[in-house]
Amino acid sequence: MSALDVQGIEAGYGARSILHGVDLTVGDRGSLTVVGPNGSGKSTLMKVVVGLIRPSRGRIRLLGEDVTGLGAPARARRGVGYVPQEANVFRNMSVRENLKLGFEFIPSRQPSGFAGRLEAMLDLFPELADRLGTLAGHLSGGQRQMVAMAAALMPAPALLALDEPSAGLSPRNAGLLFAAIARIVESGVAVFMIEQNTRLGLGAVEDGLVLVAGQVRARAPAQALLADPEMRRLYLGAEATP
Amino acid sequence: MIQLVFNGLVTGLLIALPALALALTFSVLRFANYAIGAMLTVGAYAAFGFNTLAGWPLPLATLGGMAAGALVAVGVNELVYERLRGCSGVTLLVASIGVALALENVVRFIAGNSPRGYAVALARPLRLFGLRINFEQITTLFAVVAVLAGIWVLFRFTRIGRAMRAVADNPDLAAVRGIGRRGVVTVVWALSGALAALAGVLIGLDATLDPQMGWTYTLPVFTAAILGGLASPMAAVAGALVLGVAEELATTVLAPQYRNIVAFLVMAVILLVRPSGLFGARWLTR
Repeated sequence: MSALDVQGIEAGYGARSILHGVDLTVGDRGSLTVVGPNGSGKSTLMKVVVGLIRPSRGRIRLLGEDVTGLGAPARARRGVGYVPQEANVFRNMSVRENLKLGFEFIPSRQPSGFAGRLEAMLDLFPELADRLGTLAGHLSGGQRQMVAMAAALMPAPALLALDEPSAGLSPRNAGLLFAAIARIVESGVAVFMIEQNTRLGLGAVEDGLVLVAGQVRARAPAQALLADPEMRRLYLGAEATP
Repeated sequence: MIQLVFNGLVTGLLIALPALALALTFSVLRFANYAIGAMLTVGAYAAFGFNTLAGWPLPLATLGGMAAGALVAVGVNELVYERLRGCSGVTLLVASIGVALALENVVRFIAGNSPRGYAVALARPLRLFGLRINFEQITTLFAVVAVLAGIWVLFRFTRIGRAMRAVADNPDLAAVRGIGRRGVVTVVWALSGALAALAGVLIGLDATLDPQMGWTYTLPVFTAAILGGLASPMAAVAGALVLGVAEELATTVLAPQYRNIVAFLVMAVILLVRPSGLFGARWLTR
């Protein structure tokens, strides 16, 4: 069964349509990065998947269950762990409180309690171990992204949805973060990501999807997309050079 | 002098509860609830009803008043503020002025205009370390400190407390972490109504009950909340204590009937010099 199954999505803002019949699937332990030029509809697609925008047409299934009519909190409780691009931590709360909040309002899909999940997160993000008491607002951009991902992963979600994780990070911090994302993918969590930086975004996952003007232009294994000179020239930009 | 500081601290504690309630609703709902004074009046009169009409002892009547205050606050939210959801803070502020007028006049319609008092026995003031401490001050001191400690524990160590702080910090993120806004908002109103009601009872004990009692406190309550930093609930308590002492000390140079001027002055100076409040700068927004 697919973790995420999106069929024939049409969506936009008011009368303005942005997505025109988008189909995609993320397998149970799969990972998919959506890339594409600015204005292609990546952010809208992410909002539709996590429940912040209702599509005008199409179906979204999570682990086989139709969640199209549900809002963001209800989808979160059904297993969507969403990491927004900005303002993705509770700044006036400590790292530990952020992780606790990620855990306690969503039914966990794993039997281990808070302590067990916290330990698992510190294995994934060892950088956070000595910062549990620090206010999240006092962390660097890269550390905040890690806290946000760890908080989303606390209840062992069916799908981790990452919205442009590299945005605003220095190349070094972005590299560290994507190394962590690669570890998450390896651990078997299904990942759905949109990303501007195609080399980093496609480098960390199995599959890639190119979205252009609200339509799917290509879907292939991530490495094949990165290696395709035509795709690189047309849609992925020069920085995608491996 | 020490007597004045003590009196000021007790006055500050009286203001602290509604100031905390005001800052709490502001931090979660992003609007200044002008009806805070009227909520205080409603709670005080509800407790008066339980105390004198139903014959309940005052502590029990106070709990009844707090429950009634919480119910009224939740009811007003459902009837008024939820329907205006998405409107600007100014629209909600104006709505709350309407709510204040309506609540105050409902109280006046039911209870009349005459001043009232709770059925409590008179007690002699205590003399302690040269201080003259009366029964109402002791009651205020213990009740407010206990409730503030309870609120602090609620904020820090409970699930619902964390949910309230999360919604205040980042409502969109709270939603995607599975925290239902509606439930948190209901708890915030209930808490705010109960705190205002308790303050109403303590003020009624200190002076008398009349339908306008809330208006008298609206200005100091706003001043205390702004002084602390409107978005940080516990800082409003510190703001209230500073204001209480400032008002009381001002009586050494001003006639007592002018002490409200101090609240005006403090609010004006703080808004000019430090709009985020004395303790509000620690609230991180970036």
